[in-house]
Amino acid sequence: MKQFEHHDALSIEEAVALLSDYEGKAKIIAGGTDLLGALRDEVFLEYPEALINIKTIDGLDYIRSDEKGLAIGAMAGLADIVKSPVVKKEYQMLAEAAYSVATPQIRNMATIGGNLAQDVRCWFYRYPRRIGGPMVCLRKGGKFCSALAGDNRYHSIFGAAALSDISLDLGKVRKGCFAVGPSDIAVALIAMDASIVTTKRSLPAELFFKATALSSTVLDSDELVKEIEIPKLPMGAVQRYDKFTLRKPIDFAVVSVASMLTLNNGVCEDARIVLGAVAPEPVRARKAEQVMKGRIVDEDVALEAAEHALAGSSPLRMNEYKVEIAKVLVKHAIWG
Amino acid sequence: MGDDYRFIGKATQRRDAVEIVTGTALYLDDLRFQNLLHGKVLRSPHAHALIKKIDKSKAEALPGVKAVLTWQDIPDWKGGTPRKLRVLDKKVRYVGDAVALVAASTEEIAREALDLIEVEYQVLPAVLDMDSALKHGAPLIYDEFPGNIIPGGTIAFGPNCLKGVVMGDVEKGFAEADVIAEGTFGYENIPNALPPEPVGAVAMWEEPNKVTLWSTSQAPYMDKGTLFHVFNRQVEIRCIGNHVGGSFGTKIMCWQVQAYAVLLSRATGKPVKVMFTKEEHMAAFTLRIGSRIHARVGMKKDGTLTAIHGTWYVDSGYYSFTTQAQVAVGSGELMIMAQCPNWDLKNIIVATNRNASGSTRGFGGQELKCSFIPILSLAMEKAALDPFEVLKKNYVKPGGGYFWRDGNWYQYRGIDYSAAMDKGAEQFGWKEKWKGWLTPTAVNGTKRLGIGVGVHGNADVGEDSAEAYVQLDCNGTATIFLCAAEHGTGQKSNYAKLVAEVLQIPLDRISMTPADSLITPFEFGPVGSRGTYAIGSAVINAAEDVKRRLFEFVAPKLGAEPQDLETVDGVVFVKGYPEKSLKWRALGYDRTLLGHGRFEPDFTVCNCMMSFVEVEVDTETGKVTLLRVVLATDVGQIIDPQGLEGQLNGALGSAGIDSAIFEETILNHSTGHILNANLMDYKWRTFTELPAMEHVVLETPMPTHRFHAVGVGEVATSPGPSAVLMAVSNAVGSWLHEYPVTPDRVLRAIGKVGYSARGGKK
Amino acid sequence: MTANKSDRVTRETAATRHVGFTVNGQYHEFRVGSGGIEISPTHTLSWTLREVLGLMGTKVSCDSGACGSCTVIMDGKAVLSCKVLTIECDGKTITTIEGLRDPKTGALDPIQQSFIDHTAFQCGYCTPGMIMTAKAFLNENPQPTEEEIKDALSGNFCRCISHYQVIRAVMSVVEKEGEHGR
Repeated sequence: MKQFEHHDALSIEEAVALLSDYEGKAKIIAGGTDLLGALRDEVFLEYPEALINIKTIDGLDYIRSDEKGLAIGAMAGLADIVKSPVVKKEYQMLAEAAYSVATPQIRNMATIGGNLAQDVRCWFYRYPRRIGGPMVCLRKGGKFCSALAGDNRYHSIFGAAALSDISLDLGKVRKGCFAVGPSDIAVALIAMDASIVTTKRSLPAELFFKATALSSTVLDSDELVKEIEIPKLPMGAVQRYDKFTLRKPIDFAVVSVASMLTLNNGVCEDARIVLGAVAPEPVRARKAEQVMKGRIVDEDVALEAAEHALAGSSPLRMNEYKVEIAKVLVKHAIWG
Repeated sequence: MGDDYRFIGKATQRRDAVEIVTGTALYLDDLRFQNLLHGKVLRSPHAHALIKKIDKSKAEALPGVKAVLTWQDIPDWKGGTPRKLRVLDKKVRYVGDAVALVAASTEEIAREALDLIEVEYQVLPAVLDMDSALKHGAPLIYDEFPGNIIPGGTIAFGPNCLKGVVMGDVEKGFAEADVIAEGTFGYENIPNALPPEPVGAVAMWEEPNKVTLWSTSQAPYMDKGTLFHVFNRQVEIRCIGNHVGGSFGTKIMCWQVQAYAVLLSRATGKPVKVMFTKEEHMAAFTLRIGSRIHARVGMKKDGTLTAIHGTWYVDSGYYSFTTQAQVAVGSGELMIMAQCPNWDLKNIIVATNRNASGSTRGFGGQELKCSFIPILSLAMEKAALDPFEVLKKNYVKPGGGYFWRDGNWYQYRGIDYSAAMDKGAEQFGWKEKWKGWLTPTAVNGTKRLGIGVGVHGNADVGEDSAEAYVQLDCNGTATIFLCAAEHGTGQKSNYAKLVAEVLQIPLDRISMTPADSLITPFEFGPVGSRGTYAIGSAVINAAEDVKRRLFEFVAPKLGAEPQDLETVDGVVFVKGYPEKSLKWRALGYDRTLLGHGRFEPDFTVCNCMMSFVEVEVDTETGKVTLLRVVLATDVGQIIDPQGLEGQLNGALGSAGIDSAIFEETILNHSTGHILNANLMDYKWRTFTELPAMEHVVLETPMPTHRFHAVGVGEVATSPGPSAVLMAVSNAVGSWLHEYPVTPDRVLRAIGKVGYSARGGKK
Repeated sequence: MTANKSDRVTRETAATRHVGFTVNGQYHEFRVGSGGIEISPTHTLSWTLREVLGLMGTKVSCDSGACGSCTVIMDGKAVLSCKVLTIECDGKTITTIEGLRDPKTGALDPIQQSFIDHTAFQCGYCTPGMIMTAKAFLNENPQPTEEEIKDALSGNFCRCISHYQVIRAVMSVVEKEGEHGR
C-alpha cells in the first residue's frame, strides 16, 4: 500500500476532530476489511492522507436491549451480532443479514458501522490500478458509468445514482452511477425501521442511505456512525431476510429482500418490504406494501405485491434476470 | 484386484506432510536470498496499442530503483508457438500486457517507480472475441498472422503434428446414418484453474551467460527447454523447483515471469524476484482456451457413429504457447471417446486481444468435449438413445485406435473400461433415474432434478520421455534423483513407494534430490496424468537397474548367480536360502551404486474417467445446485488411496465441473478488462456447498506398467462440465448452449427472461 | 491544513510510537516509522509475520481478504492477517501455524496430526490457513456438527478440492476429543 499517516483515536470526539483536521482527506478505519482492499488496489480517486483508527475507542461495541428496543454500538462486530442471543431471538432478520455477509473471518473483523458505510463493490470502480487500471468510470472523472456499455449483470435495475445529491427520480436517471448499494445489513435495518445515530444527527435508516455517485450514504466527510437503534418490533411481526447469490458464503447479493409483516389473524396490518442490490440504495417497495394492507395474505397477494415491487424497474442489457429473481424473493418474503 | 504389495496401494503418510501442516514447506515466496531485489511489471491499460514513447528517467531516478527495462532495452528474446512474441514489445496486445519492468530494493519502491514511467500509446482497434477477430478486415494482432489465425501444429510434437482429424469418407458416413444432428455449442467462459499460489520466479544471473532460476513451475526441466529457445539458445539455464502451491496444468506456462526475472537480474547483477499478485495471476496469466464447435454428427439407431464433420474454433487470447499442442491432444482425445470411421474435423486457432489461454488441466480435450458432447447428444436425442450407453459403446476398446499428437495412428492395447462405466452407472442409479432426453428426473414444486453423464480419457499417460537415477548406499538407503517438483498430487511420495517396493526397503530409507536440473537427469514434467506411467516407469527402471548392479556386485561373494538373488530391508540373499545373505554394507563405505532409468513415450494406452452428475434447478430463480457426483474409473492398481481420492475430488475445482456451474473469467467486451480478477468476484466452490461425491475405482491390471497402474489425476475434471450442461438441459427441458449455467441463462432457457446480451453466441 | 491538525499530529509523533504484541508466546516490539526494521503504518500483519519475523507458514494468496490462506488467531479469533494493519496490533496475542506445536514437547497439535492422518491436503498452500481457522473454531466450539465445521471453513479457498478430507480430519479430532470427555 502507498503511504498514509495513522492515528489511533481514543474518543469519538478525537476521531471527529481528526477527520475535520484532514479536511476530507482522512478515512476512518474500523474492521478494515473493505477499506484496506480499496487502498491496496488504489481504488479511490484521491488516496487518503491518513487513517483514523476507531478500534481504540472504548465502549462502542455494545449490543443492548431494553423495552424500547435494541441499541448497537457502531463497533459491534458482525460475528457478535450473529451470536447475540437477543438478536437471534427477537431481531433474527438482523442476525440473518449479518450472517449472510462474506466469510467467518471477515465477520470476526468487520463491524456493523463499517458495513453500513462501506464503499460500493462495482467491478469497474474497483478495477485494480496495477493491471491496466483504473477504469475511468463516472466516479473517477469519466463521462459515463462504465456499466452502461460494459458488463452490467450485477448492476442496478432501478436506474442510476446522480452525480451529486441533487434529488432526482432514480428511475429516470440514465447518466448516473449504476453501482448497487452493497450493504446487506442496510436492507434489514430499513425493514425494521431502525435509526442511525451519527456524530451529527439521528435519522431513519431509510434516509441514511442516499446514494450519489460519490457516496452510498449521507455521511459527511467529518461524520461517523455511532449507534444503530432498532425499535421493539410490533407484536405479530413476521421477519424474513433472503439473499440471492451464486454461492452462499462470500458473495455480495445479486438481490436481497428484507421484510417485516404485521399480521392479525392472517390479515396484513402493516408491511415493510425492502430490496437490496437492485438499485444504488435500498429500495422500499411501498406500492407492494400498500396493496397488502388490510388483505388476507395468500399467494395471490404475494404475487401481486411482487409485481408491484418491480413495476418501476428498468433493467440494463444483461440484468433482466435480476427482476425475475427479485420478484421471487418478494413473493417468498410474503408467502414463504 | 491388485497384487498384495508391501507399500503400493497402502495408505502412507505424504513425505512432506509434517512440513505442510506446520507451515515449514517452502514455496517460492518463502525462500530467502541475499541482496534480493524485487521486480514489478508495468501493465497496459489498452487492449491493443503501439507504444509511441516511454520516458523512464523519473523512475530510474527514484532512490532504490536498480533497473527499468522497456522493449528498447532488452535482447530480442521471444516465446510462443510459433516464436513471435517478444518478452517486451513495442506493441501491447491485451489489457495487462507488460510494458516495462522495474527492479528495486523493496516492493514498495518498485511499485512507486511504475507510477513514474511515462508511456505514450497509439491506441489501435481491438478484437476481443473470435467473431470480431475473424471478420474480414479485422485489425491484426500480429502482422505475421493474417486474419488473426495462428498457424496450427507445434514442432514439439514433430513435423506431422496432428492438426485435425481427417479419415474415411464423411459423405458416405452420413449416407449410412439413421440420424444426423448439427449444432453449435461453446465453452467460452475461459475459466481460470487458479491455483492458490500466484506465479513467480527468482533469477540469479551470472556473467556472461548463465542463470539459475527458482520458480513456481512444477516442471523445471520443461522450463529449461522452453527458456533455452526464448533466450535464443545462448544462455545456460539451471532450473530449480520447490513446493508448488497448485498448478492444474497452468504453471508450465511461467516463461514470461521467468524471463522478466532473468532480464532484471541480468541488468542488475543481483538476484531478482518477480512474484505476481493475485490480480496479475488472474488477468495476466494463463486462462483456459475458448472453444466453440460447429459440427454434424451421423449416428445409427444403435448408437454407432458413422461420421463427424465440423470446425473447432479455438480462442487462444493474445498469443499461443501450448494451444496447438492442446488442439492436437484434444483432437486425439475426441477420437478416443468417439470411435468413428469417418472424420473431417478441422480447427482454427484464433488470436484475440485478451489475456492468453494455454495449458490447463484437461489440455484441449476438456474444452473440445464440452462443446462436442452436446452435439453428440443432439444425435442421441434424435435417435432416442441413452447417453450412458452411447458413450460407453463408442469409447476406445482393445483393438480400436486413434491418431495421436504426432500424427501417427496408434492401436489401443489397454484395458476395456466398460466394466468401470457399468459399475459407475450402477452406483449412480443411472438406469432408474434416466427418463429420456430433455426430461427431468423428478419435479418437486419449483425444483427440477436432472442428470447427465460425460466421459474423457487421454493417451498422454505415456507421453514424453522421463529419466531418473536411483543410488544405493551401503547403509541400506536409496536416493532418487528426479526432476519433479511437488505440486499437490503427492507423486513424489509415490515415487518413493515405487522404489521401496522394488528395493524392499522402508520408505524412511529413501531420500529424494530437489527438483534441480543441474543434479537430475531429464524429466519432462508431471503433466497429462503421465506421472504414474511415464515418470513412474523411469523411476522403477532406475530402481531395477541399480538392483541389478547390486546383485551383480554381491553374487560372486555369495557364490550365486545375480538372477537367483533377492533383497529385503538392505539384505541380499539367495532365493530359498535366506541364510546365504549379505548386507548392502558389503558394498563398502567407499562405494555407491547408481541405476539409470528411462521411459520412452508410449501412446498405445489411455486412461478413462466417466462422470455422472445430478443437479437441482430452481425454476423460479434459475439457480443450479450440484447435488451429486459419481466418478467411475479404472486405475489398474492404486498406488496411494488417499492421494487418489484427492485427485478425483479435484473434479470440482481447478476449472472442472464448476466451470459449468459458476466459474468464468468475465471479460468486459467494451474495453477488454477482466472484471473479476479477484477471489471475491471469481466464483469458487466453498465448504458449505459440497455435493455428495462418490468414486468407483476398479483395479484391472494394465499390461504396460511394472505395477499395472495408470494415472488418472488430470482427467478427473474433464467429463464433468458437459455432464452438467446435459443435466441442466434435461432438468429444464431445453438445451443450454453456453457455460456456465448461471441463473440468467437458465431463466432465458425456460423463457422467463427474454433478451439478454450476455456472452454466448447462438 | 489547519493549525489544529498540526498540533495534534505533532503531539502524537513527537513521542515515538511503539507497537508491541505477542506472537506464539513471544513478545515483539516495533518502532513506527519507515526505516528498514521499523513498522510502517501501511504494513499488514501478514507482511510483518513473514518479512520481519520470518514466519513463512502464514501464506498469502489473494492478499485481499477473500481466500483465508493468511488466517491467524488473534485474541482467540480467526482473522485475515492480510487485512490487519500491524500498527493496530498493539497489545494483541497472535498465534500462527508455527505456534501450534507444543512448545515443550514439540508434539503436533491434534488438528495437525489429523490433517496428516487423513492426507487432508494436496498442494498444501491453503493448509496453514485452514488449520488455524479450524483451531480457532474448535477452541470456541469443541463439539460441532459437520455442518458447523463446513460453515466455519466457508471462507477458506482450496483449489485442489481437499475439502472432503479436511472435514473428515476435523471431525475426527472432534470425535476423539468427545471420547476423552466421556
